[in-house]
Amino acid sequence: MGTDRYAYASRLRRMDPIAKILFSALVLGICLCCPGIVPGLVTLLLMGLLCVRWGGVPGRVFFRFLGIPLAFLLLGCLTIVIERHAPGTSVLLGIPVGGWVWGISSSGLYRGARIVSKSLGAISAMYFLALNTPMTDVTLGLRRLKVPTLMIELMDLIYRFIFVLWETAADIRTAQDSRLGYSSFRRGISSLGSLSSMVFLRAWNKADAIYSALESRGYTGSLDTLAGNYQSGKLCYMLAPAVGCAQLLCCWLEVHCFG
Amino acid sequence: MAEYAIEARDLVYTYEDGTRALDGISFRAETGKITGILGSNGAGKSTLFLNLNGVRTPHSGQVLLDGEPVTFNKQGIQRLRREVGIVFQDPDNQLFSADVYRDISFGAVNLGLPPEEVRRRVEWAMEKTGTAALRDKPTHALSYGQKKRVAIAGVLVMEPRIVILDEPTAGLDPQGVSDIMHLLADIRDQMGISIIVSTHDMDIVPLYCDYTYLLCGGGMKAAGTPEELFSHPEILRENHLRLPRIAHLMEILRDKDGLDTEIWVSTIAQARREIKRMVEQNKESTG
Repeated sequence: MGTDRYAYASRLRRMDPIAKILFSALVLGICLCCPGIVPGLVTLLLMGLLCVRWGGVPGRVFFRFLGIPLAFLLLGCLTIVIERHAPGTSVLLGIPVGGWVWGISSSGLYRGARIVSKSLGAISAMYFLALNTPMTDVTLGLRRLKVPTLMIELMDLIYRFIFVLWETAADIRTAQDSRLGYSSFRRGISSLGSLSSMVFLRAWNKADAIYSALESRGYTGSLDTLAGNYQSGKLCYMLAPAVGCAQLLCCWLEVHCFG
Repeated sequence: MAEYAIEARDLVYTYEDGTRALDGISFRAETGKITGILGSNGAGKSTLFLNLNGVRTPHSGQVLLDGEPVTFNKQGIQRLRREVGIVFQDPDNQLFSADVYRDISFGAVNLGLPPEEVRRRVEWAMEKTGTAALRDKPTHALSYGQKKRVAIAGVLVMEPRIVILDEPTAGLDPQGVSDIMHLLADIRDQMGISIIVSTHDMDIVPLYCDYTYLLCGGGMKAAGTPEELFSHPEILRENHLRLPRIAHLMEILRDKDGLDTEIWVSTIAQARREIKRMVEQNKESTG
């Protein structure tokens, strides 16, 4: 389900999660701070290459995941690109509506392109982390980076029990469906209602059972565990400045040569 | 080492809603043996186990560990949890981490052991339970039987002296049942861990249990070796249980067909011996 499947198969799965978190964060930060179109595209290119070539994530998987936010992004950009202009302004494409010209101007188009490129760059940096690091390693890394324990433990538990509750919900849905619970819209709505309340009740009971199970294994208020051994993240630390420099260089070139 | 690893005397436990789940239960589990607790659904097995591990505190009665009474204060409870491990029926209630390795390590970390020792124990428990190959998988990608094994590893890692398993074979396929029960027999034989299992799968009882109790309505109704228990099928039937299939066949052969079968025969091996004996006897008397 989701990115996790690929993260477990990634060649970088065993690498120290802190290295990957810091690397992604640095690249993300630079990408967001750089003006212009090129840095975002270069980030996308570099992180995509690293994901596919280094992490071993299949290329089409990377593109498919990129496609998910792209749909939202393009829809969102439409409202930025299409603007209302005073009559007489030069627009690339426009229709006059009631004394104004609605359309796309070159500056609007540039702004839209900048947002798309920056977002794609940022997303690719996050995907590098998500497609190469299982969730449990991310939380462990965050814990070592001194993020408050309560938050981390909640993240861990929520993540684990998403799957458990999802299975519960799917089982109930199948059971309802097999007895014609979704044969009409009205019935579907009412079945969905009872499904939600059932899942809630199950979650409640489950919480009790889990608490007992944790207590029997010596739980005293903190979910401390030991992770398997990680490989060193040296390569990641070495790559980080290289990628960062490439981003900054592109930004500088764009500003000075084309700006 | 005491003869009985854990013992309960007149345990009484009542839930908040007034249900008396345990009504003066006494039982004891011999050291280094598998003790079976037979009982239908709602007989009080799970409540008894939570009492033996200190997750619930009995309202009256005593729990004895190695012949010494346990006081239900902080230290006593900690000792119980260290020495007595529970494997719950639904592994999804027990596995709280999405990472197999980390889940197994939890109990050992809670014992306050140094990291190297935790790692050694995790490796050891994974090897014992055959889960080493699962270390790189997320918990939600495991099958039911695999989850069960990981749950057992997560208890073994605390190196308890007693392991309690609530319905260890429920929901497993026949191969899974025999794998898990073999694993338990190995744990008993190689590590000398005393094992308590609850079950209503009657066919595995004569194969794996050294001693059995019959629990019903919050009280122990009968006790004995499987053979002793199966010699009184009426008690089993009164308590919503039955004889193992083989024992039932033997009972019919004896009662309906007048064959001279022993009353306690309940496994395939025993039945084979018994039938061969009868054939031989028949040959002698006719020839």
